[in-house]
Order: sequence, then C-alpha cells, then structure tokens
Amino acid sequence: MQQEQHPALKAAAEGPAAYRAYAREWLRGHLPEHMRADSLEYRTPTLEESSAWEASMYDAGLVGMTWPKVYGGLGLTLREHLMVNKEVGALPMPESVSSIGKELAGPIIQTVGTEEQKQLFLPRILSIKDYWCQGFSEPDAGSDLARLRTKAVQEGDTWRINGQKIWTSGAAKAHYCLLLTRTGTVEDKHRGLLMFAVPMDTPGIRVVPIKSIDGKESFAEVFFDDVVVPDSARLGAPDEGWSAAIRVLSIERATNRMYRAWRFECELRQLIAACKSDPELSKLLNDGHYQRRIGEVVGEISALKGLVERTVNQMVNGEQVGARGSLIKLFWSECHQAFSGLALSLVSHVTPRSSPLAQRARQAFTTAYLYARAETIYAGTSEVQMDIIAQRIMDLGK
Amino acid sequence: MTDIDLRPEEFAEAAADVIAAAHAGDFRNAAQTLAEAGLCGVCAAEEAGGLGLGIEFALPIVAEAGRQRLQWPLLETILVAKALGSSPLAAELCSGARAATWALQGHLEEQWAGHARHAAQSDWVLVARKAGGAALLEVASIKLQSDDALDPEYPQTWLSLEGAKVLAEIDADTFARLKRDGQVLIASLVNGAAEGALSTTAAYMTTRIQFGRPLSAKQAVRHTLARMRLLQEASEASILRLLRQDEYGAVRSAQPVLAHAIASSAFILEKAIQLHGGMGFTWELPLHYALREIRKFDAAFGSGELAGQVGQEFIQSV
Repeated sequence: MQQEQHPALKAAAEGPAAYRAYAREWLRGHLPEHMRADSLEYRTPTLEESSAWEASMYDAGLVGMTWPKVYGGLGLTLREHLMVNKEVGALPMPESVSSIGKELAGPIIQTVGTEEQKQLFLPRILSIKDYWCQGFSEPDAGSDLARLRTKAVQEGDTWRINGQKIWTSGAAKAHYCLLLTRTGTVEDKHRGLLMFAVPMDTPGIRVVPIKSIDGKESFAEVFFDDVVVPDSARLGAPDEGWSAAIRVLSIERATNRMYRAWRFECELRQLIAACKSDPELSKLLNDGHYQRRIGEVVGEISALKGLVERTVNQMVNGEQVGARGSLIKLFWSECHQAFSGLALSLVSHVTPRSSPLAQRARQAFTTAYLYARAETIYAGTSEVQMDIIAQRIMDLGK
Repeated sequence: MTDIDLRPEEFAEAAADVIAAAHAGDFRNAAQTLAEAGLCGVCAAEEAGGLGLGIEFALPIVAEAGRQRLQWPLLETILVAKALGSSPLAAELCSGARAATWALQGHLEEQWAGHARHAAQSDWVLVARKAGGAALLEVASIKLQSDDALDPEYPQTWLSLEGAKVLAEIDADTFARLKRDGQVLIASLVNGAAEGALSTTAAYMTTRIQFGRPLSAKQAVRHTLARMRLLQEASEASILRLLRQDEYGAVRSAQPVLAHAIASSAFILEKAIQLHGGMGFTWELPLHYALREIRKFDAAFGSGELAGQVGQEFIQSV
C-alpha cells in the first residue's frame, strides 16, 4: 500500500463525513453481487474469493486503520476504525476469513512481539496472506484457562509442544496458530503460561474437524504431538505473552467485529425486504405482534450502537476499558439471538410457493438462528460475562 | 449555578442536592427551590431568566430526578419553559412562580387529553393540537378527573378541555423538536429511576446475610444484578448517543431509545423489588413509586405501542 498518497488518508484528513463517505462508496461500489447475502445471485464465496475481497479492502485502506504505518497500517484512530466498521456492517458481506489474525494475533504481536516478528507477521495479516487460528481452549480448560495442560518444554533453541486444543475456529485453513501453552504444571495455574506463533504445517499437528449445530465444520480439535518450533516462534517471555493476551482480550471483547450493531440492522432490513417480496409473508409485517418485536430489536440495536460508540470514545480519550467489554459481549450476543429468533419465526412461514428472495431468506436465517446458539458460548459464555460484570464492574463480593 | 463552563455531569452533581431539598418540601416550595437553583429554566431563553443551555444539561438533571423519585413536573416545566422562548410566561416558569405539565395523550380539538403528571398541582398544561402544534392551557379552566388505579398518591389525570383557556400557542416545528426532547428526557428519567433502584438493591444484597453469606454471593442473585446493570448501561449509552449527530450531521430518532429505556427500566424495577424479598412488597420501601412512575410513562405511550410504532416505521423504511 502506498500510504502517504493513499485516498483513505486524504479522506480522513477531510473529516468524518468525507471519510465515512469514502468507505461507503468504495464498499458499495466494489462488493461483488454474488457475495451480497441479500442478493438472489448470492452463493457461498470460496476461501480464495473471500481472501481476494478482503485483500482489496486492505488495498483500499479499509483494513488496519489503527495499525502503525510501518507495519502496513494507516496510523489512524479507533474513531476511523469505527466509521469503516459502520459501513462494513451496513453491507451484507462475508465475515473475515482471518478475524483472529486481525483482532487478536496482530494486537498481541504488536504488544510483545520482537521487531522481526512484527515485520514478518503484521503486514501479511493485514493483506490476508496469512490466516490465523486461536489455540486457547482445551477439553478441560474452556472458560478456566488456569486448567490449561498443553505443555511446552525448552530444548536448547527449540520448544517441544504436546497437548490438545479444542473449539479452534478456522484451524483447517489457518497458516498460523496463536497457541497458549504452559511451561510448568497445572498446579501453577496462571503462572508459566507461554504463547507461540506456530505454523500450522509444522510436523506433529493434526486437525480433526468438528461438525457444528449449523452442519458446518467451522471449528476443530487440534492435536500437538511432539511439535518442535524454534525459539523465534515464542511471543514474549513466559507470563509476558499471556499478560498481554489478557489485556488484548479485554479490549478485543469490547472492540472486535465492531460492525455488529450495523450488521444486525442490515440483516433486519434483509429479512423485511424478503418478507415484502412475498404476498403472504408481507401480511405478517402488518401484524402488531411482529411490528412490536421488530421495534424491540431496533431498540436493542440502537442500545448496542450506544455501547460501542461510548466505548470507542472512552478508548480514544485514553480511558481503560477494563471489564466493560463484558457488557458489550453479553449484550450483542443476546441481542442477536433475540433477532435470530424473530427471523426464524418469520421465515418459518416460507413455503415452496414463496418468492425466491423469501426462500433464500429461509435458508440464511434458519442457519443464522442455529449459529446464534454459539454466540452466547464462544469468547466467554454469558454466564462467565455475568460473573465478570458482578465481580469487576459491580464489585459484588462473594 | 450560572457558570456555563460547567460540564453537564458537574451540573447534575450540583443539582442532586437541590432535588433532594425539593423532594422534602411541598409542591410550591419545591418549585421555588428548583427554580432558584436554575433547574426549571436550564434550557429556557436567557431573556426569560433561563440559562439558555442545551438539552444535554437537562438530561442528567432529570436522571437525578428519576433517581431520587422526585414527585414534581420538572421535566415538563423545563421543556415548556424552553418552548415558550422569551415570552413572559417562560419567565414565570423559570422563576418558580408557575409549574407546567404536559398531557402526553390527546388533542385540544378532541377536547380530551390525559397522562399529564401532577396536573392537579400544576398551573399550566401543554396539549397537542391536531394540526401539529400545541397549546398551553390554564389548568384552572379545565375539568380534571383523577385516576388512581396505578398510583393513589400521585394519580394519573384525565383532562376535559371544553372551555379551556389557551395561554399560548406553540408552532408545529417547535413542538416537533419539543416532542423529541421530551422523549430523550423521559428516557433519561426512567433510566435514572432504574439506576437508583439498582444501586439500592446491589448495596442491600451485599449486606443482607442469609445462610451465612451475603445474598450477593449467590450466583442467581449476582447474575440478576449483572443483567440489570447491563440493561441500565445499554439504555444510558443509547440515550447519550441521541445527543450526538452522526458523521453526516443527521439527528437520530429518539423513539427506539425511549421504548428500550421504558422496557429496561421496568424490568430493573421489577427485579429490584423481587430481590428485596418481602420488604420489596411493602409500601415503606419506596421502589414501588419508581415502578409506578415508569408504568405511567409506559401507559402514556400506549403500553408497548411505542415499540410497535418503531417497528412499523422501520418496516416502511425498507
């Protein structure tokens, strides 16, 4: 990317309206019709197509807004990041193929990585040349990472890793795993945790896909059997990488996929457009029950936008997010589950005689309803988030 | 209280003591107390004795009124004083000589209106006109019918408007802006009431010992409190968002925010009463006043109809 002359930077310099308009016009002008989930031409994009789309977004200056210029970013603020995300959310486009890379691995590497690691990994994350997966959870360590067992033993200039990860999204396609291990024993709990950037083609790594509720194989078990990596794969010293990860995770919980509220609104528009395309379904939109439920979802989307924008303002002003990310995580996941329930109840009225758009919506929103079950589970279950809110935000003693 | 260099939240801190003092006095004394501190005229024109500040300064004041369960039409008086511009009538509201309320339902042409808080104690009431504006009426010229089903101490009031004396007219544009401001402030008031109830409840749960531990140690209680906090914070964030325009300078709709704020605050109050156990069911514990206030606003907007209207408008926009 030729940064100094980049049109995104010029637009940003002209002010918020020009910058948001730049993002809006570019995205709307370039998203292929077959990638628009609300189009009759839609088909599930291949990995290559999704990557090419995201790479073109990067070239347009719509990825890596806050990352340092020296590592391929634009050096802008979280405010510009939010503006782009509003426009990303407003279009029914595919999810990122490497959100773990952009929103978790990248920020951790920026915090604890060596200069060589930053130069090696960061530009390739932004340009979607490398995809990342997250190797944190284990069969005995879901929300409680103190029970982590995957072990890393130093052998001269290398590390030997043995263990098992689970619920690893995108493991089958990932080039790197952001892997959390321990150097001591389980009794050490949160001490001695060590993080690595492990190439997924390293001998000894075995990926076993898990079929999920939506019928897809979007996550997997990953086995590490005598996997040997050089010391240069280590991200920070023991404890240092994990401490950074904790900080990044708390921010990530508040800021990742910042476009969600705008995407939910986009999905709601897509749902209503599909209903309007069909004479029978459009009658449902005149029903007071559905009108009220749609109004409630609009109110929740508005509240979610408020939470996100307030958090961005706080962070731009240098305030600590702390545990407040749990409020956003809990709210968006439950808000989207409620929406998906509404969507399912509407598209369940679709029959083979319904309009093509309605039939397309039935497929999409039924899958979305099932997938939404995961949203209150991953990245910390709702129960864990409520504990965090009670303990760290409300200071309720046990 | 005339230092306009104050930020809204600082203004609210100063207002808290004033509202507490007003809460302790009778209706007329409360008017004087609130007015002398500049609260009644916070948004009114300086020519009328107001402070000429934006609605963002009224927002934390009414939130504080909600938090303290102030039984006085402060929100309405602030808005009517603002709408009257430099009129001498505005000056009477700013000085505390008069108090105004607002009938949230009905039209002058129907000769019937309702849901005006504290109408019997107020001097003037604002009523919508069919054509889009509003009229300020003298309460003494109106027949009032009290409805104490929901709140015997501070009942809802129905107004028969035959022969009502019109004191002033508000044009349609001003009234449209006033309605949006009203929705923002009502959302803030009910959210303030919820925040107050949550704060009281959380404090009680940490001191009430049962089975050898504070109730706040029980997961069911902690999770309920966390959910209450979530809804209150989300509501507050969406209300504050209404004060900001988007990148293109567009004004945001207040209706979805108000609908969400009413539903969330009702949930929080109901749970606050539940968590207080038997005490929550007593008249002595004042949480019920806040619940009644929220339900009165809910009724004024059609008991959930607001969400239906939001849904209808969204459907039409697609």
